[in-house]
Amino acid sequence: MSQNINRYRCDLRDLQFLLFEQFGLQEILGKGKHADWGQEEVNMVLSEVYKWVCDVTGPINESADRVGCKFENGEVKTPAGFKEAWKSLYEAGWRGLGVDEKYGGQGGPSTLALTANEMMSGANTAFNMYPGLTQGAAEVIEHFGTDEQKKTFCKNLYTGVWSGTMCLTEPHAGSDVGAATTKAVKLDDGRYKIEGTKIFISCGQHDITDNIIHMVLARTPGAAAGTKGLSLFIVPRESVDGSGYNNVVCASIEHKMGINASSTCVLNFGEGGDCIGELVGTVEGVGMKQMFLLMNFARIGVGTQGLGVAAAAYQSALEYAKERLQGPHMKNFKNPEAPKVPIIEHADVRRMLLEMKGRTEGIRALVVKLGMHADKVDILEDGDQKTYEKGQLDLLVPLVKAYGSDQAYEVATTAIQVYGGAGYLQDHPVEQHCRDAKIFSIYEGTNHIQALDLVGRQLGQRGGANFQAFLKDIGAFVAKNSENETLGKHVKELGQAAQSLGATAMRFLGWFQGGKAQLVPLSANIFLKMMSTTAISWLLLEQAIIAEGKLAELAEHDSDRAFYEGKRYSAIHYAGLELGQVLNNAKYLGEENQAPMEISTASF
Amino acid sequence: MKILVPVKRVPDPELKANIKDGKLDLSGAQWVVNTFDEYAVEAALRLTENADEGSRDGEVVVVTIGPDDAAVQLRSCLAMGADRAIHVASEDANLDSLLVAKTLKAVYDEEKPDMVLLGKQAVDGDTNQVGQMLAALLNLPQATFAASIELADDGKACVVSREVDAGVEFKKLPLPAVVTVDLRIVSPTSITNGITPESHEYADGPRYASLKGIMKAKKKPMDNKTMADLGVSGSPVVKELEVTLPEARAAGQIVESVEELVKKLSEEAKAL
Repeated sequence: MSQNINRYRCDLRDLQFLLFEQFGLQEILGKGKHADWGQEEVNMVLSEVYKWVCDVTGPINESADRVGCKFENGEVKTPAGFKEAWKSLYEAGWRGLGVDEKYGGQGGPSTLALTANEMMSGANTAFNMYPGLTQGAAEVIEHFGTDEQKKTFCKNLYTGVWSGTMCLTEPHAGSDVGAATTKAVKLDDGRYKIEGTKIFISCGQHDITDNIIHMVLARTPGAAAGTKGLSLFIVPRESVDGSGYNNVVCASIEHKMGINASSTCVLNFGEGGDCIGELVGTVEGVGMKQMFLLMNFARIGVGTQGLGVAAAAYQSALEYAKERLQGPHMKNFKNPEAPKVPIIEHADVRRMLLEMKGRTEGIRALVVKLGMHADKVDILEDGDQKTYEKGQLDLLVPLVKAYGSDQAYEVATTAIQVYGGAGYLQDHPVEQHCRDAKIFSIYEGTNHIQALDLVGRQLGQRGGANFQAFLKDIGAFVAKNSENETLGKHVKELGQAAQSLGATAMRFLGWFQGGKAQLVPLSANIFLKMMSTTAISWLLLEQAIIAEGKLAELAEHDSDRAFYEGKRYSAIHYAGLELGQVLNNAKYLGEENQAPMEISTASF
Repeated sequence: MKILVPVKRVPDPELKANIKDGKLDLSGAQWVVNTFDEYAVEAALRLTENADEGSRDGEVVVVTIGPDDAAVQLRSCLAMGADRAIHVASEDANLDSLLVAKTLKAVYDEEKPDMVLLGKQAVDGDTNQVGQMLAALLNLPQATFAASIELADDGKACVVSREVDAGVEFKKLPLPAVVTVDLRIVSPTSITNGITPESHEYADGPRYASLKGIMKAKKKPMDNKTMADLGVSGSPVVKELEVTLPEARAAGQIVESVEELVKKLSEEAKAL
């Protein structure tokens, strides 16, 4: 039995800290593209989005999970409240935060859109997938579509009149997307006849909007094998010229571990009649390149989804630990009559909570850093600075997606552990967070694909200059702060970790060139984790140093002191735990251990 | 139709109240618009618009009396759709219901609205006095705890329904008047203004500040005044002596039989 109660809580103070105290969002407000935006508008958006999710999507998170989507006669029924929430979302306009004004948006900074997205994902991650994918589809058309296509689709997608999906996966083409066989045959009028089956299509069919615009990867006759032969098509479920149903058949929906309220569909294009699509832009064979924009957007979205769920799980566990009484305080452990204390008084619960706090704040810092690079790419003129910002943005995408999603699951299982047996029950929200979070490390490119993207593509971009700039930024921070009285020890260790990260990256180059390429996939995930934890230790230590400065200025009883003290402890605990592991992992990778390849399959 | 809506900022009622040294500790409070005042803003907006066409027909002026930070709550009323704001500077500690009512009277005299619409009470102090005092000071008709408001066709009167123990009471008031609102004023069909078609159903509850509304709010006028500007002086007649939490309830008892229950109620609790 589930009730419509909002359980979502967000740490708005941390969002404000990141935007205005660490990353200086205010520097890009009030001018150029964001001329209408000031700090007051940003703060108001944060508090109003928070209010909105607590009122509208938070209360239906649990009930929607229990009911899930229903599939009957080819139609998908979404859980109670989804249609109303969709309407309310687009009336409020939160999806238009970063969208250009000509498409009904408000041209705000992407960083703000990302932080708003954290709240929307945290309050109801399954619901948020419908508008999230819709926005992705709109962005691809805005970037690569013809003027006519932009006119027809963008505004309707951005304002929620229609919804959108991305259709890559086929029964034999998952991570190996180049094996896709869906066909696109050009017709005399320039449009294409689409035929094939796509699976695992999130939000592929539902009853929220009248039309669904599918972005479909398909192969034209005679096109090259692999990803090079794929083109991207706009395939509406209902023809937009008014000619009616376009023969996109939803054959079934999946029954899943989590995100039950997001319909995951098998779609048959062209079953029972012609299914007509149009090529995105005018050139065939560039579908993968176009889809990468959508995937990049979706990968950042998944990392943010991870952040939202991790933060929600942490807040729930924290609230529970402050209220749940069990056992005496450790100093009275032999006295059965001693008063029971809230479990937050117990050492191991505090350890778990601080670990969750550090990880959550760490991913959040990574997401906001990524957002700021994206915003600067957006507003800067071409030149060295813009190249730098773009390089850092590209580097951070696999980190945010993979580390953010892995940690979301870790934080959610730790949240269950804090609750104990109660957390395993559906009476509390954390088991759902855990089930919802598991998919994040799998979809939009598994986390191994992210790791391969990082070591195979991103590290070597511009001759390694992006990665070198990343290390240089850390080096500058270390040089400036290694003598800090309380944090210097960790800052120095950060310096060592960054060095060993650089040395490990050089090993990858050696493996590629020295005939040991099989070591690359074996090591890629470990490297991604090393780089993520190094980056987060850096950002959390930077926060701690900012916090020390603020603490020196604040009065003794100022209520904000607790927040800044908390920042110091997040950094000390996280860096203390993780930086040593970076050094260990560097050592391990240096040993070129190949046990997983050497062991015979029979010996498993 | 011009409506004056006084609003008060209150500490977020969803957060726990902390008490320190016999006083509420508000140093870490999150401030929000008093829930019932937010309902009053919603009701005022509904009275002055054509909801089907999305057009405005009238003016809603929000006013607050409070410290500098209270401007944030005025902005959120502007973001909901109110047309302009008046901020009268004062510290909460220097105010009580009567002073607030006197200040609002001075604002009324300057603004000459057709109606003053406000929450029945603030959810922090729960005094439920300002609306009534203001009506008395202005010598205007009043209706409290409004559950619905129907504007007369000529715009010169309104019919207010109020839920009372015996049922629903309807009051017809000539305008200008003071109306305080209860929670049902934000039901889907609680407001009839003769402009929005009667078939229109609002979403339940006050509207959200939209992204567009937030971006427009900055450009809407906000007047800053002091109580001296308005010719109001004096100090509060009600003083806060001490704040304490209610005593914790004693543990309950489980009784074996009805007889024992009756006996305990009569002899121990002396309730019978």
